[in-house]
Amino acid sequence: MRPLDEKETTQVFEKLFKFTGPNLKHLLERPAVEGPDAEPGRYCLRLNRNRVYYASEALVRRATAVSRPRLAGVGTPIGKFTHHGAFHLTVHALDLLAAHARRRVWLKPDTERSFLFGNSVPKSSLARITENTKVGDGVVVMSMADVPLGFGIAARSAQDCRKADTNAVVVLHQADAGEYLRKEEELM
Amino acid sequence: MGKRSGSKRKDKNKVILPPELPPEIDDDEVDLSDEDIAFYGTDGSNVAPFRRFDKKSIDRYVGRVAGRDEGEVERLYEERQKRKATESSGRPREDDDGLEVDPVDALPTKTLQGELIYNRAKKARSEDNTGSVKSKAQENGADAKQSIKKDEPKGKSKNKKGDDNKVKNIQSQTEVPKGQLHSNVLEEVKEELSAEELFEKKKAQLAELGMAMLEDPESNIRSLNDMLSISNDKDQKVAKLGLMSLFAVFKDIIPSYRIRQLTEKELSVEVSKEVKKTRYYEYTLIRCYKAYLQKLVSLEKQPHFYTVAVRCMCALLDTAPHFNFRENLLASVVKNLSSSDDVVRKMCCEAIRSLFINEGKHRGEATIEAVRLIADHVKLNDCQLHPDSIDVFLSLRFDEDIGKDETEEEKVKPKKNKRWQKNQEVPKQLPVNDKKKTRQELISKAREEVDADLRAVSFTLDPKERKRIQKETLSALFETYFRILKHSVTTSNSRTKVNNVSPGGSHPLLTPCLEGLGKFSHLIDVDFMGELISCLKKLSGYSDRQDEIPNDNALSVSERLQCCIVAFKVWRSNLEALNVDLQDFFVQLYNLILEYRPDRDHGEVLADALKTLLWEVKQQDMLRAAAFTKRLATFALSFGSAEAIAALVTLKHLLQKNSKCRNMLENDSGGGSLSCLVAKYNPEATDPYLSGALASVLWELSLLEKHYDISVSSMASNILSMANLNPTQNPVPILNVNPLEAYRDLSMERELLKPSKALPLNLKKKRRGKEFVALSPDVLQKADCSVDKDELEEKLQSHFAVLRGISENERLRAELNNTLSSINMYKEYKKQKKKNMKFKTGRKKVARV
Repeated sequence: MRPLDEKETTQVFEKLFKFTGPNLKHLLERPAVEGPDAEPGRYCLRLNRNRVYYASEALVRRATAVSRPRLAGVGTPIGKFTHHGAFHLTVHALDLLAAHARRRVWLKPDTERSFLFGNSVPKSSLARITENTKVGDGVVVMSMADVPLGFGIAARSAQDCRKADTNAVVVLHQADAGEYLRKEEELM
Repeated sequence: MGKRSGSKRKDKNKVILPPELPPEIDDDEVDLSDEDIAFYGTDGSNVAPFRRFDKKSIDRYVGRVAGRDEGEVERLYEERQKRKATESSGRPREDDDGLEVDPVDALPTKTLQGELIYNRAKKARSEDNTGSVKSKAQENGADAKQSIKKDEPKGKSKNKKGDDNKVKNIQSQTEVPKGQLHSNVLEEVKEELSAEELFEKKKAQLAELGMAMLEDPESNIRSLNDMLSISNDKDQKVAKLGLMSLFAVFKDIIPSYRIRQLTEKELSVEVSKEVKKTRYYEYTLIRCYKAYLQKLVSLEKQPHFYTVAVRCMCALLDTAPHFNFRENLLASVVKNLSSSDDVVRKMCCEAIRSLFINEGKHRGEATIEAVRLIADHVKLNDCQLHPDSIDVFLSLRFDEDIGKDETEEEKVKPKKNKRWQKNQEVPKQLPVNDKKKTRQELISKAREEVDADLRAVSFTLDPKERKRIQKETLSALFETYFRILKHSVTTSNSRTKVNNVSPGGSHPLLTPCLEGLGKFSHLIDVDFMGELISCLKKLSGYSDRQDEIPNDNALSVSERLQCCIVAFKVWRSNLEALNVDLQDFFVQLYNLILEYRPDRDHGEVLADALKTLLWEVKQQDMLRAAAFTKRLATFALSFGSAEAIAALVTLKHLLQKNSKCRNMLENDSGGGSLSCLVAKYNPEATDPYLSGALASVLWELSLLEKHYDISVSSMASNILSMANLNPTQNPVPILNVNPLEAYRDLSMERELLKPSKALPLNLKKKRRGKEFVALSPDVLQKADCSVDKDELEEKLQSHFAVLRGISENERLRAELNNTLSSINMYKEYKKQKKKNMKFKTGRKKVARV
């Protein structure tokens, strides 16, 4: 387990920034709630076996006692570096993103399943969308009951959505809660 | 014979005279008949020829035959008049006993302007002849007597107005010659009086000219020139009167159609006499109207005539928006829309408003011109105008279907037209089919022409044209609005520091502009929407960096709230199909609630914002709803009852919609898993998502339950009762109004409560003292201030009286002490003196001894 180097940090932050925008600051500066300490301090990012973890300083301090090969994970995993060195957010980051994301998309109740099976969001299943969504922004996909289902990248801006035909893809799928079942081995 | 002729004369008078010199004679019929009788009595030779014609003419009129020989009759009548005139000049009898009035009345301008008028009177009559002929030709079978009767009352009513003036006129006329006669004696007096007299004279002249014009515009059209020349007078009063009376005349004689320039082809064609007359009339009218308008425009620059000129122009625009030179009128009226003079501005606004409202008068053409002119005006003045100039847009009206796509319209329209045409043509085609083609063509051509004429005459436009005009108007309107918005954005960014002192003053047009955008939001084109929303977002003070709220925003809280409202309205009315979440505006509202101050900002705007943003929106994000709930509860606690009730109504609505948020009504803090990542409530967070409101408890409600206002306390307890219900259940609604209405109701009540007597107030006070635990000092202060003003004044007075008494006492006491001490000093001094004396005497004694 080690802190991220500069290049990796930029990569991770760039990905997160797509979703949170200026809220990224809150993500890193908020007081931690994990760990046994009375004052757990803040959150930090750690890299362990290509996976990036989001953990409180108290947890990290304790995790240092465990040797690297034996350490399975610490805190919340938020993504992983691929073999090519690219960073991908994983579905574990969903809660974190949902709390801090600026753009959201709400799905119609009967189309949630399709998204949870790993499909992109077509316009027909769109119930609501945040107003100033631009192409390429990261959006969190929610159910109408405000349960986060997954996240993706906006393929159309909120205004273009209006003109687009019903089958046009609005949000490109990146991760969804269904992966906990479909890709159980991969995730752990 | 005299009697007979007199009676006959009367008959004739009845029949023939009115159309010739219609109303003047009606004014004092008795005098005229007297005169006539005298005329017939003295000169019997005249009667013979008349008798002949009398019969004929009477027969003709009774028999309703359009007379060919009428011209002859008239000519003879004219001759008689001429003779009479010469005779009357020869006979001083009638003139002596004040009957000079009659010729004046009969030929109004005769005595004032001598020879020239005599000619003109003749001419006028001849014009009149043709006029009457024409009218008869038109009416053909109509009853001549009837037409005469129609004329009579009109003339009378108008004449009555002028009566006073006429009397004055007579007086002045009699005075003037006297002064000339006794010039040596009355020279000085006359000089003194001359100004006044002149004024009176001119006034009378104006009145006469005006009356003549109104009575018979066609024959007296030339006196417009005289009136114009009077209004050129050096005396401002006279000139003003001239302008006003000219306006009155124009108001009545302007035809209901637009006079167009004759083409050369038309000019070259030989036309009948009547047409020539009409052309001449129209030509003169137009020329005079033009001159009048030019005069008005030029006078407008002079401060003395400013109000009068603008009033005339506004009224003219109001009465004759269809007539020629409307553009010039409009231009100057629009220019005065933002005048610094309140009266002028009001007049102009009213004129433009009526222009917008009564579109039937001018078929909407003037509307678009006016809107365009205002747009240019705004552009030229860099948006620094009085708000009234944009406010007039609010009275514009558009058809509901104007916003629809044009393609749709076009698809529908031809069908409709076809059907209509079919309906028309089917019955007529059957017989036509048998006839020749040429004839058919002719008929259709004729029909087209008739249709075109009909369209030109009728004031209703065909829908296509109307649509086009409305579209253009709309685009000009939005151009103005967007210009103002853009301007506000750029200046609020660049000049924030400068304008910080007076927010609102820097963008005078913004408020009416936002209002207008809200009103016409359903007509905004979708393509503009993105830009519009981003503009509004900037104006509402939203910035991406949430930590630094721009405090140097030049707009007031109300204006920013209005921006939010408008943005919502725009979205809602246009994109009903696609549900869009205006998150940034919610964030903005969330922060603006904290910035609200009851006296500085309009509570109504805030209530409206709560209504549009929170109450009317169907779905709310849970986290956001929770954050708003908490903030509204805090807000309700810290301001007056009206604001509180608006907040509570919204809060209740939020809790109803979001059953999960009802956890906040429970007593144990900490939202558990629902509070997501923020475990502790942060009351000052700028982002509702990060406030952690779900972890908080709505303790404010239990305080509000003890609010002195019954409606607030009952609402609070009603909300608290929601905690015990199932998440799916909703409580019985006690007050199903939106926040804005609730706010209005309560603020009205508060207004009513203000001057109430001391007794209930005392009761209230007691109750408040007992039960009310914590109320923000603001509310207390406000309530006190508003409530016991009289009582307070009394108390303060007595208090200060006591204080003053005390200080007075102190002063007196100090004085007393002073005097006492000085007396003591004096006593001591005396004692010492005595001692000294004794001592000295003792010494002396000693010395002596």
